[in-house]
Amino acid sequence: MEYKVEKTKAPGRDEVEVLGATFEEGVPEGEELGKWRQKLDSREDKLKYLQSGERYWFSEEWFGSEKRKNPA
Amino acid sequence: MTEEKAKSIDQASIELIEKAAKDGVNTVFDRAEAMKPCPIGAVGSCCKNCSMGPCRVPLPKGREETPEDKQKRRGVCGATAETIAARNFIRMVAGGAAAHSDHGRGVAELFLAVAKGEAPGYEIKDEQKLMQVALDWGIEIGDRSNNEIAVDIGEKALAEFGRQEGELITLRKAPLKRQELWRQQGVSPRGIDREIVEIMHRTHIGVDQDYKNLLKQGVRAAIGDGWGGSMIATELQDILFGTPAPVLGKANLGVLEEEEVNIIIHGHEPLLSEMIVAVAQEPEMIELAKSKGAKGINLAGMCCTANEILMRHGVAIAGNFLQQELAIVTGAVDAMVVDVQCIMQSIQTVAECYHTKIITTSPKAKIPGAVHIEFDEHDALKSAREIVKTAIENFPNRKGNVYIPGGVTNQIAGFSHETINYLLGGLFRASYRPLNDNIINGRIRGVAGVVGCNNARVNHNEGHVVMVKELIKNDVLVLTTGCNAIACAEAGLLVPEAAREFAGKGLAEVCETVGIPPVLHMGSCVDNSRILIAATAVVKDGGLGDDISELPVAGAAPEWMSEKAISIGQYFVASGVYTVFGVTWPTTGSKEVTDFLFKEMEEMYGGMWDFEPDPIQAAHLMIAHIDKKRKALGIDKARERVLYDMEMRREMDAV
Repeated sequence: MEYKVEKTKAPGRDEVEVLGATFEEGVPEGEELGKWRQKLDSREDKLKYLQSGERYWFSEEWFGSEKRKNPA
Repeated sequence: MTEEKAKSIDQASIELIEKAAKDGVNTVFDRAEAMKPCPIGAVGSCCKNCSMGPCRVPLPKGREETPEDKQKRRGVCGATAETIAARNFIRMVAGGAAAHSDHGRGVAELFLAVAKGEAPGYEIKDEQKLMQVALDWGIEIGDRSNNEIAVDIGEKALAEFGRQEGELITLRKAPLKRQELWRQQGVSPRGIDREIVEIMHRTHIGVDQDYKNLLKQGVRAAIGDGWGGSMIATELQDILFGTPAPVLGKANLGVLEEEEVNIIIHGHEPLLSEMIVAVAQEPEMIELAKSKGAKGINLAGMCCTANEILMRHGVAIAGNFLQQELAIVTGAVDAMVVDVQCIMQSIQTVAECYHTKIITTSPKAKIPGAVHIEFDEHDALKSAREIVKTAIENFPNRKGNVYIPGGVTNQIAGFSHETINYLLGGLFRASYRPLNDNIINGRIRGVAGVVGCNNARVNHNEGHVVMVKELIKNDVLVLTTGCNAIACAEAGLLVPEAAREFAGKGLAEVCETVGIPPVLHMGSCVDNSRILIAATAVVKDGGLGDDISELPVAGAAPEWMSEKAISIGQYFVASGVYTVFGVTWPTTGSKEVTDFLFKEMEEMYGGMWDFEPDPIQAAHLMIAHIDKKRKALGIDKARERVLYDMEMRREMDAV
């Protein structure tokens, strides 16, 4: 996924870069309607998603109630 | 005049049962009326495992069993009623686990062939799931190509079936506490096939004659199904055909089209049906259909194949198990293509009354009289084209006695674990947190997995629909697969609007906010493994205990009939889930065996079996269990999360 970066003024600073809108414009159509996995393009994106989205199994940083008692 | 027993709650089915009677066609409904179940076999009191029998050891009629009666209740070999009931029960587990797992093996074989480039027409469609399984199974990713990774995955998957020692790698997905409990109980499966073979050995005459030890092996084999063979099938199918995401589809017999070539794909495996879906859209095939006088080609699914192609392509579902003959009775089905499991032999007899061609495709499942076009995974498109052509060429043979009932419903399917996680949290923070929060605050009372078959001994779809409506009315979110999912679709429960009409206030609020139906269609019967993964994600997200057995959840199969359902129920129980079956219970010939399954298993696994044929009562048993778990977690009183502002924080600090 390509991120849009916007520049904006921040209090006490000149200009900062912030992450822009991440939603996709328009309405999905056809067979792709409702599908979401194609939003992740590169292998790196997919692995990153697994670490965050599927953190229950793949993140080393996330601590659920289970992992507190049983450090991975 | 005696009141005729209702056969279905579905109007389309009722109309076709009447048409079958007018056409002089014998169906499953007629046979169920004509032949009552054997009362001794039904309760597990008949042993036919050697030629000294069959031995019948029924309970005395109309009175309590005395110690003398009990002494006499033995087979010729001396096996007690307990041993016989337990043997019969775990042989059902073995049958079910074998069916699911052999499905998994078939997928793994195709998967490996695709990875090696030996199966043209197939490709790896979901790289993300490929990565996920590679991480799960400790397979190197690095800069390797998808096919290189897939070869390792395919080989590892196949090795799990023949593994002889250690534990299945797929068990690692389970909650840590559950994995430890399985080790303590000695039920972690060593290999998928090994545990099934061991059941057949132990239940041979003169081997294991301790009912508790027999049932323990049943647990081990069932875990090898749900957390092994079925899970491998689901994971690899997702990589090959795509992980399901929400898709709109239609349901019921009215999806057949009078002016088009109707092809019904029936059975369980998506390997061939995926190819048929592709071939049916080829311009040459559509032209051929038009040349025969049809307006096009209409594909529809039946049973779990239907669920597979619905979840991934939105192909309409014509019906569930008890509707397979009725589809042919419409006179509009040009071919019914079958692979394995839950296919009635009588579809061929019914087909002979009309023009339908029954096409068997698996070397494992042939039917006398049917056309056999064997599915060759190395040339799948050729097999698929031959099948579709056979159907098209049969279109002009229709006999004119066509009736397609109305009553088509809409449904949203495709709720894989991955998609639920995404829907609840979005791409940047996919999460089960909103579900857990709403369980904790009481809007959602609990979660129920309602699955399983149809059974001609009870009113078609009634148990499914009545139970599910009662659960959602009481704010229980329902996860569904298999024939239950199809029954729910036909009753209009798989659309978001159903939340407003049928669900309790709390559940309806959550469904409307997220935009989901109150009943989530998760797939076919091997996809019950998705329910296990969803339950594990709820555990791991935190706040509802450390194990599935602590969650406010329950399972049910209100119209079960197959051995697969027993295997599914057993792995639900072994995973810590209270599981209620309807219709009949196959161990009631032994009080000890039944008590062990219904009571003692709770102490061992945190989950246990139960039996209640009334779907409302069964739903109330599930709700009572959910409430018991809510109380144990201390969330039995509804509480809203309070967001503290700075002033409130200062007040807290001041105390």
